[in-house]
Amino acid sequence: MRVTIVTFRDIFQSEAQEIDRFSEEYRKMSAVVFLDKSDAVKAGVKEGANVLVESDNGRVVVVARISENAHPGLAFMPNSPWSNRLVPAKTDDTRIPSYKSISAEISATEDKVPTVEDLLREMVS
Amino acid sequence: MAVCTGCSLLCDDIEVSIDGRSITRTKNLCRKGFGRYRSLTSDRSVPRVDGRQTSIQEAISRAAEMLRNARRPMLFGWSCSTLEAQRKGIELARRARAIIDDTSSICQGEIVDMIIRRDIPSCTLDDVRNYGDTLIFWGCDPSSSHPRHMSRFSYYPRGEKLQRGHEEDRTAFLIDIRASPTAKILAGNFVQIPPGGDSDLIDAMLAVLDGKIPKVKDKKALISMMNTLKKADMGVIFPGLGLAYSLKGRMDRLKALVDRLNETTRYNVISMVGHYNMRGFNQLLFDETGFINRVSFADGVNHGPMYSVVEASKSCDLAMIVGSDPISSLPAGIAKALARVPMITLDPHRTLTTELSRVVIPTALSGIEAGGSALRMDGVRIEFDAIVKSEYPSDEEVLSRILEEI
Amino acid sequence: MVSAMEIYQLTPKLNCKKCGLPTCMAFAVALLAREKQIEDCTPLLEPKYEAKLKKLREVMAPVAGATETGLIIHDERCYGCGNCVVACPVNVANDPKGSAIGLGPKSDKVILIVEDGVVKCLNPKECRRFGPNRILCNLCTATCPSKAIEFV
Repeated sequence: MRVTIVTFRDIFQSEAQEIDRFSEEYRKMSAVVFLDKSDAVKAGVKEGANVLVESDNGRVVVVARISENAHPGLAFMPNSPWSNRLVPAKTDDTRIPSYKSISAEISATEDKVPTVEDLLREMVS
Repeated sequence: MAVCTGCSLLCDDIEVSIDGRSITRTKNLCRKGFGRYRSLTSDRSVPRVDGRQTSIQEAISRAAEMLRNARRPMLFGWSCSTLEAQRKGIELARRARAIIDDTSSICQGEIVDMIIRRDIPSCTLDDVRNYGDTLIFWGCDPSSSHPRHMSRFSYYPRGEKLQRGHEEDRTAFLIDIRASPTAKILAGNFVQIPPGGDSDLIDAMLAVLDGKIPKVKDKKALISMMNTLKKADMGVIFPGLGLAYSLKGRMDRLKALVDRLNETTRYNVISMVGHYNMRGFNQLLFDETGFINRVSFADGVNHGPMYSVVEASKSCDLAMIVGSDPISSLPAGIAKALARVPMITLDPHRTLTTELSRVVIPTALSGIEAGGSALRMDGVRIEFDAIVKSEYPSDEEVLSRILEEI
Repeated sequence: MVSAMEIYQLTPKLNCKKCGLPTCMAFAVALLAREKQIEDCTPLLEPKYEAKLKKLREVMAPVAGATETGLIIHDERCYGCGNCVVACPVNVANDPKGSAIGLGPKSDKVILIVEDGVVKCLNPKECRRFGPNRILCNLCTATCPSKAIEFV
């Protein structure tokens, strides 16, 4: 199921980030994707299940949340090191990364959601 | 009264009860600001050199030595430091012939640039409270990013000319992709657009202003909105990251709309800057070099995209990061490049960037443990004092000591 | 939030008048308005209604935290934005130099203040919803971005 990922700021995630970026709370608030109800059905993804989000730039496993309101074709992720796995490293002339419009494939997965430490390990591998 | 450095509103009406070194109760802080106060005791960084815990002094000396030996250093961050620290930082960049850039380079730099150059008119948030009767929040969600924006300045408070507050005297529109928390409270005036639809909406808005039929689905709603916008005594547009990213490289579109609105009435723009003193850094660097960010001092003063954090992360041979977490906030591919560069990081907290840094220098939390001044999102200077004693030096102190040793 | 009908289903439905009201439905309404307490229904305390009593206490638990005006604050949802503090007409009238102009309250006669990042209710008797001549003012709930304030 192909969607456009749009990142956003959530106050509870910002609060967790202020307090401790290595906390479980921060991971819980950050490593999520908000899916449209019908998109989630099409992708075979249930509320609270793990979902693989894969763009041309990278892939990341996060927890699926189903939005109350409809937004077919769009999926929202809090801006975080998890969403940044998907943001293209290649930029246009402005050298401003495209944080808010990322084409990605979503699918159900059994894989685990990475911790901050997992992300760091990958960063230096 | 204390000042909150949780975002660029720099709320200066914060009441804090202190018992010794700990904060027992606060009044008027929003959830996000309170989080910043709570971080006083959480996960503080420790001085490190090459993974080994050491003294702050040794970390500073090592940083100075690394800077002295670097050939293409980059100094990045700055939006969470005081004006005083930023001034030292720019001085250090000159001395080290370094590239200097801040977080505006990957967010709202293009809009702030137009405001600082006076290409588009701006005003203060106090002006908005007193006279701003027609507001457009565009690609932003103030409830989440600047929780007290609407209550302190823009929508709910009574102002000099607006005694009846939001119910009768003010109209606020929200233009966004996402039905955000702010969309809930501005439901009747929420214009939902598709990703990247901002430019098309501007075209449609300009068409209505020219008396033409706009090419949008709901023509009636747009025409009615434009009629309201035209009737403003003082209108204010608050662009956020949504608009900044959607119009990147095409910011003349925003200017075209603002200019057109200003033909009949007064419209100002205030950028929804995130970090508490990004505006301050942009202003300082502009005053010194004529550019708000992306400057190289390697050979006089040069400016351009090759000096952006996105490019310099790949080309520098040393990165000094001040009060920022680029390993967390850059696209992973660029963060990976930066992680290969030796990094010196000044931060009050442990971050993804401190974890990968050769040198970590812990610093005081400004606004709580260190005083100074900063520019609010609208450019107004706010001064603050430390409210608790700290064992950590301020960014300004650390940078001064590095300057002395270099 | 729990409704009067839901509460009624958990009463003994005897219409015994022991609580001082004519019907169990009237008791349910009074319970929701906090004019009566669960214990005012003495039959409900009998062992045979144990399950109903337990369930009733459960559904009434969130309402128990409400002020005299029925205001409930969900701390965990609150952004601490202060929209309600500044929009509340009583805050505005009683605190012209503070909340009326967007600042933290400077008067002790305000109803709503923000403490430790979350809104708190003081002086509920000043609220327009208090007492027999109440007005169903909803500015604090209408201006909330996260449904953190509710009236029951």
